[in-house]
Amino acid sequence: MVAPLVEFRSVVKRFDDFVAVERVNFTIEAGEFVAIMGPSGCGKTTTLRMLAGLEAPSEGEVLMEGRVMNDVPAHERDTPLVWQSLALFPFLNARENVEFGLQMRGVAAAERRRRALEWLDRMEIAEFAERDIASLSGGQKQRVALARSLVIEPRILLLDEPLSALDANLVIRMQSVLTKLQRELGITFVYVTHSQSEAFAMADRVVIMSRGHIAQIGSPKDIYRAPANRFVAEFVGRNNIITGTVGKATAKTVTIDGSLGSFTVDLGQHEKPRQGDTARFVVAADLAQISTAKPRRGNAIACSLISEEFIGSVVTLFLEAEDGSELKVQLQERELSKMDLKQAATIYLSWAADQAHYIGAD
Amino acid sequence: MSEATSTTAASSAARQSSVFKLTFRLPIIIWQSLFFIGPLCFMVAMSFFIVRNYRMQEDFVMKNWLKMLGRDYFWDSYVLTWGLAGIGTVVTMLVAFPAAYTLAFKASEAVRRWAIFMLIIPFFTSYLVRIFSWYVILAESGVINAGLSYLGLGPFVMLNTKFGTVVGYMTLTLPLVIILQTFALANIDRSLVEAAFNLGCRPFRTIYRVILPMARTGLIIAAVFCFILSFGDFVSPYYLGGSKPPTLPILIVDTVKSGQQWPRAAVVAVVMMVTLFVVAFAGIMAAYRRRVG
Repeated sequence: MVAPLVEFRSVVKRFDDFVAVERVNFTIEAGEFVAIMGPSGCGKTTTLRMLAGLEAPSEGEVLMEGRVMNDVPAHERDTPLVWQSLALFPFLNARENVEFGLQMRGVAAAERRRRALEWLDRMEIAEFAERDIASLSGGQKQRVALARSLVIEPRILLLDEPLSALDANLVIRMQSVLTKLQRELGITFVYVTHSQSEAFAMADRVVIMSRGHIAQIGSPKDIYRAPANRFVAEFVGRNNIITGTVGKATAKTVTIDGSLGSFTVDLGQHEKPRQGDTARFVVAADLAQISTAKPRRGNAIACSLISEEFIGSVVTLFLEAEDGSELKVQLQERELSKMDLKQAATIYLSWAADQAHYIGAD
Repeated sequence: MSEATSTTAASSAARQSSVFKLTFRLPIIIWQSLFFIGPLCFMVAMSFFIVRNYRMQEDFVMKNWLKMLGRDYFWDSYVLTWGLAGIGTVVTMLVAFPAAYTLAFKASEAVRRWAIFMLIIPFFTSYLVRIFSWYVILAESGVINAGLSYLGLGPFVMLNTKFGTVVGYMTLTLPLVIILQTFALANIDRSLVEAAFNLGCRPFRTIYRVILPMARTGLIIAAVFCFILSFGDFVSPYYLGGSKPPTLPILIVDTVKSGQQWPRAAVVAVVMMVTLFVVAFAGIMAAYRRRVG
């Protein structure tokens, strides 16, 4: 069996009393685009820095291709990182920045220059090669930073929120630049971000972290449609999380009784819960439906409309149930325009039984 | 009509604020003209005066300039002062750097704060007193030679030597230079240093590939300060260097003492001022130059 490109084995990182990363296990295969996502302080950047050798694990092992990397210093690893601040050298011009890594590897001046210019050309900024870093725009600096990291032909590229300082249009452009690069080069990208849209748009696999733990690993679709727990369901957003106690349970379905009513939910892969336990399930906002008349069958909650958020073709409605909990539903603007919600005193939020996703107690 | 009124109001407001600004600037303008520009002009003027019967008289003659600049001992003294201040600056910068590097990159915030405080403490005591304390250490029967004699070495003559002068200069400049270097290094963006490691730069190489270029402005300012303080210092070359051959500050005193030659002393002072202006200006230009070639 071939060892995975990267493996974290129960890695712990402590800073004095603070535990940044707590018993993290995961592997990354060669050629994958992996996003590590989570709120600030969840340990995602620390995880990335341990991979680059800029932090040493307090416990556990970081392996690359089967080799334990814990004691390999940063400058002996081929794990170039693109910083959030980009960390370009302001005293060097664009070309000299790109040449830096090659120079450190003892590549001769002419060869160095040729390869740097080749990469600047590939990043479509060849005409800025001799420019000062300070005179480049945000997007151009981004491209210099990518060229500087990729010119050394690494097997893995680490990116620490590199797009967070760019404006929205440029972010979309750079996302396509990155995905295209990753596909063409066939190397592994590990991309740390707090932005769900960036992670979902680019990554093959997403690692969601929370307070130093891994909350879920899966494809963007898995994480979106089948959040493993309450944290992921909330972090991904636009989910209705409904809590109750377990009533009747069979091997396949469970009845959850709560202040909003009694609902039957598919258990999916979960084991049968005990009666009386707390349990939760998720109804994604875009899978829920609304109507002004009470549906005759299925699960429905009576609500009143609080506000709506209009973003182009999609509208999110914020509803309040009788017990005061807030629910969301997302639908197409043209669907909504057929309904007359302003007149309705009560709006019913409903969903098909197989579209609710059981997440257990946590 | 209302437009005209508002324009008048605006201009009177502008006038008021400029009066306001002037009130704030006036003290520094008066201070500088009275105690810096005035005396400086007088000193330049004095270098053209003449001395008759030990009394200085107003005049405009080139004699002092020709006398002083035509003498070998003046140029010997000039070269000596340059050399000693230059060596002092180089040695101080080199000795200070590891300390500043440690304080800026390795030490914790608390340690750095205490260290800066400790480096300020030497300035509590008069420089002259600190220079005299070196007698105990450097003398032929002093602490160092006593220590060396146990090893069967020495005694070495350290007082009244150029070595003594440089030690004296460093007493004055080293704490200041460490503080200035520490600030210059502490301001470097850490991610640049990490980026260098990340791209395969060994830690030692990072010092001259990243840290020195990034800290250039602060380091040059520190060196300029160090040179200026040493070049103009009278105490160290007089008490620790034995004043022979004289540096320029000692030459000024000697010239005044021998026959009340204030105008000739003024010539030396003007030459020193011009030298320091040039050094400071060149230093600032180098410090703020946009890129290194």
